Amino acid sequence: MMATGTLNQYIQYVERMFRTANGENLARLLSLRDDHINNKNLRSSDIATLVEGNCVAPLDEIIIYHLCCVQALSVKDFIEAYHHQSQCVAAVVRLLQAQKEENWSLSLMYTVCLDLRLVAQKAELCDAQSNGKILEKAAESLLACFRVCAADNRTADEDTKRLGMLNLVNQLLKVYFRINKLHLCKPLIRAIDSSPFKDQFPLAQQITYRYFVGRKAMFDSDYRSADEYLSFAFQNCHHQSIKNKRLILTYLIPVKMLLGFMPAKRLLHKYDLLQFWDLVTTVKNGDLRGIDHVMEEHESFFIRAGIYLIVEKLKITAYRNLFRKVYLAENTHQIDIVSFQAALQIMGQVDVDSDETQCIVANLIYDGKIKGYISYQHKKVVVSKQNAFPPLSSLY
Amino acid sequence: MSYLNYLCNNQGPNKREKIIGTCYTMCPQEEIWLRKREKLIHILEVVGDNFKLVKSYSRSAADANMAVPSLLRPYNVLKKTVNYLLHEVGKRTNVPVIVIYDFLNDRLRSVRQDMTIQRLLPEQCVELLEPIIRFHVYFAYRLCEKPIKEFDPVLNNKLLLECVKWFLSCADEMDRLNRCFNIDNTALSLDMVNLEDSKNMYDRVLVESLYILCNIENNQLLVRYLGLPSYIKRNPRLKLAYEIAIANLKNDFMRVCRLSHGLCPLTTCAFVIFLPTLQKRILQIMSSAYNSKQLTVPTTVLQDWLLFNNVVDVTECCKLYGLNVDNGVQFNKMSFKCDIEVHKPKLNNRLTGEQIINLEDVLTY
Repeated sequence: MMATGTLNQYIQYVERMFRTANGENLARLLSLRDDHINNKNLRSSDIATLVEGNCVAPLDEIIIYHLCCVQALSVKDFIEAYHHQSQCVAAVVRLLQAQKEENWSLSLMYTVCLDLRLVAQKAELCDAQSNGKILEKAAESLLACFRVCAADNRTADEDTKRLGMLNLVNQLLKVYFRINKLHLCKPLIRAIDSSPFKDQFPLAQQITYRYFVGRKAMFDSDYRSADEYLSFAFQNCHHQSIKNKRLILTYLIPVKMLLGFMPAKRLLHKYDLLQFWDLVTTVKNGDLRGIDHVMEEHESFFIRAGIYLIVEKLKITAYRNLFRKVYLAENTHQIDIVSFQAALQIMGQVDVDSDETQCIVANLIYDGKIKGYISYQHKKVVVSKQNAFPPLSSLY
Repeated sequence: MSYLNYLCNNQGPNKREKIIGTCYTMCPQEEIWLRKREKLIHILEVVGDNFKLVKSYSRSAADANMAVPSLLRPYNVLKKTVNYLLHEVGKRTNVPVIVIYDFLNDRLRSVRQDMTIQRLLPEQCVELLEPIIRFHVYFAYRLCEKPIKEFDPVLNNKLLLECVKWFLSCADEMDRLNRCFNIDNTALSLDMVNLEDSKNMYDRVLVESLYILCNIENNQLLVRYLGLPSYIKRNPRLKLAYEIAIANLKNDFMRVCRLSHGLCPLTTCAFVIFLPTLQKRILQIMSSAYNSKQLTVPTTVLQDWLLFNNVVDVTECCKLYGLNVDNGVQFNKMSFKCDIEVHKPKLNNRLTGEQIINLEDVLTY
C-alpha cells in the first residue's frame, strides 16, 4: 500500500481512511512493517514543515512522528526511531481519548504499540548501557494506552475500547518477561481476569495471554494453574505454528513432568525438544547421576528457557521412582533405611548418609508421595500395605 | 515527568549533569551550628571533651532542596566517614549496642543519600556499600534476640536489601562496561585475584552470597546466580551459598545444615537468622514422616540435625509447635500447630562459635 506515490497522495490517502473510519487500512498506512516505508518520496529531513497545514489535526502529528521514525529507521538510528515512535504512540493516545463511543481505531493502536515494542527492542540492543531502561519506558507508553482502554466503561459493549485491553496486556507481558520484572505482571493479570470480556477476546490473544500467565504461575511454583494455562495455549494454538507450539511445550513439559506425566518421544521428536528425552529416562529410572549429566549437557538451554530450577526439582520425582524400585525389589512393607541409602549411593549421590536418606524419605512422606512412616529407633521405613507409592498424577 | 523518564534522559554519560559536593568534613558547617544550638548532639558524637559530628539523615521533603554542594560530601570524604563510623564508633563499649546500631544506621543512611544525590560512579558506590552491607548483616544477627520495640529486623532487612541490590546493579554495570572494552574473562579473573588480595577493595562474591542467603526462600533470585559470568559463578564460596539454596529448594534440610558449617562469619550470620524458619518447616515435615503414637526421636538427635544449641532449646521449640516431649520427641501430624508464628533466632554459639565477637572482626576479612 502506497509503495509509490507522492507525500501529498499519501497524506490524502491517510485522511480518507481516517474519515471513513477504516481502521485496518489506517493502521497499515502508519505501520513500520508495511511497504510504504520503502517509498523514498515519504522521506525528508524536514517532514514537519511539509506535513503541517497540509493535513487535519490530530492526524498531522501522528503522520509527522511516524514519518520521522521511518526516516530514522532508514539510517538505522534505532534510538532516535524509538523516541519518534513513542511520541507517535502518545499522539494516538490523545486521538483515542478524543474519540468517544467508538473503537474502530483500536487496530491503529495495536499497530503503533507493537511497532513501539519492536523498535524499543532494537534500540535496547544498540545501547549497552540501557539494560532494559528503554523497554521499561516503552512499557510506560503502552500503559498510557491501557489506561485509556480500561477507563472506557460507559460505552456499549460492541464499541468499547476495553476490547483492546488484552492486546496491550500481551505486549506488556512480553516486555516484562524480557526485562525480568515479573512482579509488574500481577495487576495486569488481575485486570484481565476480572474483565467481563475475559472469554470474548480473540482466541489468538487468549493463547498468548495464557502462555505468559502459565509461565508466571510456573515461576511461582503454582504448577496446577501453570498446567491449566499452558495446556489451553498448546491445545488451541494453530497447528501450523510449530515455533509457538514448541515454545509452549518448553514450559508445559517440565510442568507436566513435575505433576507425574512423562512426554512421549514422538512428541519431543516432532517439536525438536529431544533435550527433554534424556531427562525423562533418567527421572523415570531414578538415575541421579544421569540427571546431573543431562543438566550439565543442556545447561545453557535450561537456563535460557528459565527452567533450570524446575529441572532441579525433578530430582525429587527421581528419588520417588528410585525408592519405589527398592520397595518392589525388597518386596516387604518394612524397608531398612540402609537399603534406600545404598540405592542413592549406587545411583550417584555418593556422599549421602543415613540421616540425609531419612530426610529425603521424610519429604516424600510429607508430600504424600510415599504412604507410611519412619521409625528412627529401628532405622526402618514402614509403608502402607495398599498403594504405598501412589501415582504422582493422582496427587495433584 | 516521571522519575523513570528523568533517569533515562540523564543517564547518558555525557548528559549526566553531576553535582559534586564541597563539604570536606563529615558534617556540613550549617548542620554543626544548628545541632549545637538546638542541643541535638548524639552521645556517640562526644569524643572526650570535643564534638565529632556526622551528618544525620533527613528525609527529602518536597520543599527542601537537597542538592546543595556545600551540604554534600564528595566520595573520599564519604569513604572516610564510613571508615570512621564503622571502625571507630563501632568499637565504643560505653553505650548499649542498640544505641550504637541506631546511630550508625542513621549516619550510614545519610551517606547513601549523599551518594544518590551526587550520582557517584559504580566503582565508587560498590566500595562504599560493601562495608554498609556487612554492618547490616552483622547487626541483624547481633540484635536478633532483642524485642521488636528495640530492634526491628524487618526494617533492617529492607535497608540491607536496598544496599545489596544497589551494589549488584553497580557490579552488573561494571561488567557491562568491561564487556564493551572487550576485556575477556581471563583478564577479568586476574583482576578478581587482585581484588581478593587487597584489603580495601570490595568483596563481590560475599555480597552475591549474601543476596542468595538473605533471601533463601525466594527462588527467583537464584535465576540471577545462573546468569552470572562464569568467573564469579565458579567461585567456591558463592557456589556453597547456591548449593545451600538448592538443597533448601528441595527441602533437603540435612544437606542444608551440613553445608552451612562451611560458611564464612557473615554468611553464617545470615543463615542463623533464617534458621528458625527452617527448623519450623523441618519439624512440620517430621511430624508427618515420623508420625507415631509410640515411637519417638531422641532430643539429642534433633539438636544435632536442626543445629539447636542444646536439648533445652529443642524441648522448648517442639513444645511451642504443639509436640509432646518425654524421653524423646513424639511426632504427631495432627498436633503440630503450623499457624504459630516462627520462633525468634538465637545467638547461636554452635555455628558462629567464637569467631563472631565484634563488628571489627566482620569488617576486615
